[in-house]
Amino acid sequence: MSEKARTIELEVLRYRPEQDSEPLWQRYTVPFTEDMSVLQALQHIKDDIDGTLSFRWSCRMAICGSCGMMINGKPELSCQTFLRDLLPGPVRVEALAHFPIERDLVVSVDGFVKKLEGIQPYIVPKVPRTLEEGEYLQTPAQLAMYEPFSGCINCMLCYAACPQFGLNPDFTGPGVLALLHRYNADSRDGAREQRMATVNAEEGVWSCTAVGYCSEVCPKHVDPAHAVNQNKVNSAKDYFLRWLKPAAAAPSKAGDQP
Amino acid sequence: MKPAVPDVPVESAARVEPAFSQRRPYTRPMGAWWRRDPFFMVYMWREVTAVGVAAYAVLLLAGLLCLMQGEAAWHAWVGWLRTPLSLLLHGVLLVAMGYHTLSWFDIMPKTMPMLFVGGKRVSGALITRLGLAAAVAASLVLCAIVLGVTR
Amino acid sequence: MAMERFKADVVIVGAGGAGLRAAIAVAEADPRLSVALVSKVYPMRSHTVAAEGGAAAVTQAHDSLEAHFHDTVAGGDWLCEQDVVDFFVEQAHRELVQMEHWGCPWSRMDDGHVNVRAFGGMKIERTWFAADKTGFHMLHTLFQTSIKYPSIRRFDEHFCVDLIIDDGQAQGVLAIDIASGRFTLIQAKAVIIATGGAGRVFRENTNGGIVTGDGMALAYRHGVPLRDMEFVQYHPTCMPGTGLLFTEACRGEGGFLLNKDGYRYLQDYGLGPAEPTLRNKAMELGPRDRLSQAYWHEKQKGRTIDGPHGPVVHLDLRHLGERKLRERLPQIYELAVEYLGVDPAKAPIPVLPAVHYTMGGIVADGRTASSMPGLYSVGECSSVGIHGANRLGSNSLTELLVFGKVAGQEAAARASAVAHGDDAALTALAERSREQALAVVEYGARGTERIATLRREMAQTMEEGCGIYRTGATMQATCDKLAELKQRYRKVHLDDGSRVWNTEWLLAIELGYLLDVAQAMAHSALQRRESRGSHQRLDGYEQRDDRNFLQHSLATHAGDDAPRISYGPVKITRSPPGTRAYGAAGEKAEAERHAQEDKHV
Repeated sequence: MSEKARTIELEVLRYRPEQDSEPLWQRYTVPFTEDMSVLQALQHIKDDIDGTLSFRWSCRMAICGSCGMMINGKPELSCQTFLRDLLPGPVRVEALAHFPIERDLVVSVDGFVKKLEGIQPYIVPKVPRTLEEGEYLQTPAQLAMYEPFSGCINCMLCYAACPQFGLNPDFTGPGVLALLHRYNADSRDGAREQRMATVNAEEGVWSCTAVGYCSEVCPKHVDPAHAVNQNKVNSAKDYFLRWLKPAAAAPSKAGDQP
Repeated sequence: MKPAVPDVPVESAARVEPAFSQRRPYTRPMGAWWRRDPFFMVYMWREVTAVGVAAYAVLLLAGLLCLMQGEAAWHAWVGWLRTPLSLLLHGVLLVAMGYHTLSWFDIMPKTMPMLFVGGKRVSGALITRLGLAAAVAASLVLCAIVLGVTR
Repeated sequence: MAMERFKADVVIVGAGGAGLRAAIAVAEADPRLSVALVSKVYPMRSHTVAAEGGAAAVTQAHDSLEAHFHDTVAGGDWLCEQDVVDFFVEQAHRELVQMEHWGCPWSRMDDGHVNVRAFGGMKIERTWFAADKTGFHMLHTLFQTSIKYPSIRRFDEHFCVDLIIDDGQAQGVLAIDIASGRFTLIQAKAVIIATGGAGRVFRENTNGGIVTGDGMALAYRHGVPLRDMEFVQYHPTCMPGTGLLFTEACRGEGGFLLNKDGYRYLQDYGLGPAEPTLRNKAMELGPRDRLSQAYWHEKQKGRTIDGPHGPVVHLDLRHLGERKLRERLPQIYELAVEYLGVDPAKAPIPVLPAVHYTMGGIVADGRTASSMPGLYSVGECSSVGIHGANRLGSNSLTELLVFGKVAGQEAAARASAVAHGDDAALTALAERSREQALAVVEYGARGTERIATLRREMAQTMEEGCGIYRTGATMQATCDKLAELKQRYRKVHLDDGSRVWNTEWLLAIELGYLLDVAQAMAHSALQRRESRGSHQRLDGYEQRDDRNFLQHSLATHAGDDAPRISYGPVKITRSPPGTRAYGAAGEKAEAERHAQEDKHV
């Protein structure tokens, strides 16, 4: 590589449903600088080499969750993955694993969004309070119980990392279960009971075999593996309590582990 | 008030609009997914060690049955235990059990709710190390008892 | 019929903080009204997500609505609609409590109450914050809460290409379903535009790729004036190269800005004196326009530090210590380490100003209504009158909530009072818009101008002519250049002639929006012959001219010609224009002002 004009090669999995019967690899050469991200390389391709390359992106700072894709076989955010760490190349770029490819690096994420909508991802107040009464009190310790799980940017890298989701797309999956846990663990919420159905289902926590790769790849350190596996204990407890008291569903007590 | 459009006028009013969507999502096969990433290979080896644990349980059960069948059976059993094949098998199973133990305690913190001591979060790594330490200590105590009894 | 059709009571374009809040407001006002929420990205990707610092509301006992009012009006260099500011500061606290009830994880004090922090230009701490990811938490809270309401139907990844205006009234929108490239007509009785700002017209900006002024351009093309477009905010502390934001909270937590001599240079620009702990409205906690201007002056004096992406200054957070940094500014920490390889606990972060916010936008009255019946606008795309010539940090996140709710209520009231338009007429209008949008992709192969080339030239000329400091000559050059770019845009080239997920097609349409908005900005700037807030000139108009220019600029689209710039009055109720003074000078002016007011009581 000459110092004058450094370059690097990208191999991108293309797929244009109107003309391709199946995906195929395409090579591009892009200029290289020390601070370039894979996203910037893709933007260069689209701007100056091949405008037909489609990919999602927006914020460029790993907070919007748009730009998840497989880079050299690993689920990454392209805006936060730097070419300098992938030298000498070629860099293999492919759509996020375990999702159907719509076009090039764009995958179908309707399934994920539907699952997210299905878990009651909002506060159902445990105790009613009017706006005039001001905010609910929540200590920093109570906030800490759910804050990491609230940091999920919905990038779905954890779904690309999870082989159980890859084998069974009906699995609720790490990200959505982490969000479910975020609400269960929030001291202001009272809908833990209603969410147990999702947790207890075969496609709930019980499809998880603790591979743990989801937490490895999560760019926001949400630790979905922790959220899911913690809830296996909760699910088992819930199951036995229901079994013991079938008439009245086991009420969740204030002292219960979230 | 229209946006900038090309100079060339519209050729035909009857634009060909596809009657339905041309989306055709492509699903990639899972195939031998565990070979795709070293992380998955390590996971599969971890799962295989569970077979090792089961195998050792069967061995112990076999020994117990032999014990129940009287002295002759018991001596035959102990004789088999001393053979090179048995020693090799036990060696492999010991490694498997060791790795199984390590990975078990790795996962353990993930099954527990978050712990706070003095306002600070207890890290998963610390819980793992404490668990392993307890496992090692218990094993040593057990070894000492067994060796003490058999002497 | 190859076009999808849908009828709703209210259609909202844009599902960021403002759009989501408006949708929820409609649903709560009347659950029987159907809401179509149209967004070119999934809601959680909206650029609200990137906002970091916080949302302001009078909270502490020793704070007052009057103080927040005064900070905002002074911060806006008296170009604010003061009655609207009054309403805004009064509603702020209630809206933030509502967010808390909906689950927003506001950072807390030890006793469980919500914590507040200092922010630039605010006399008293009143900024609510959720770690250093306030926008992220607000957006996700709003999105997840919106799921509660069955009357809200989302059209995710639907790109709006036109407003459907019939009989002078807003009657719906036409959008492309990005996944298939097919069109959807959504008829409605009220249209709310919540499409965000237009920072992408500039070269260095903090914005995501989607912030391209879509709704502004659409309203503008249909005759609605854009107000105060010359006022574009440069955020003083951004990452060189990418323009990514280092939140104002870095300074709120006590960070310093240093030049190449390690000197806190802001004290030379009327913001001093420099003290070891930051005092509100002084030094690094001064308003954004003044800090960006100080950088420019340091650059002229050669006191900035040369970097691979141009001259920078240093944001020094070392004295905060690693623990406080990781606890209060974790995202900043990661940004500096990952993107720049700088550990803020050990080294200062190189920063420079980049475009961050569009103060101007679609003219909206205090109830978010535009001059066109049925059309409302809210959020950064709108000019409702609270930011004036310069926005204070943490006012805009609160704006999304206060006016999002108003927009929803107004749209709901209108939808309950009027009937749907004539189906055949609206369909014909939609067909025409569809033809125009299709022309871009169908003739694209024959085009000769690459999108990226036009975009780069636009961004370069905007930076040169409408930067932190402006002259008549540079602004005129930019106006001329933009006229040329608009002509060249007619021959825009597309490599991609497909329909499924053709993002190049959308980029071409967005470029059209950007060029229109850029023209409105440049011409408005050229005509304003004074300096006020974030519009600063060096060509004889260095002072504020309240006699001639205590007025809003109004840019009206004139087809292929340059926009017509006219002026409208500013609503002054009880705060006559004064001096914007910060630091020690500010405290003196504040004391004098209070003494004056006491005399009148």
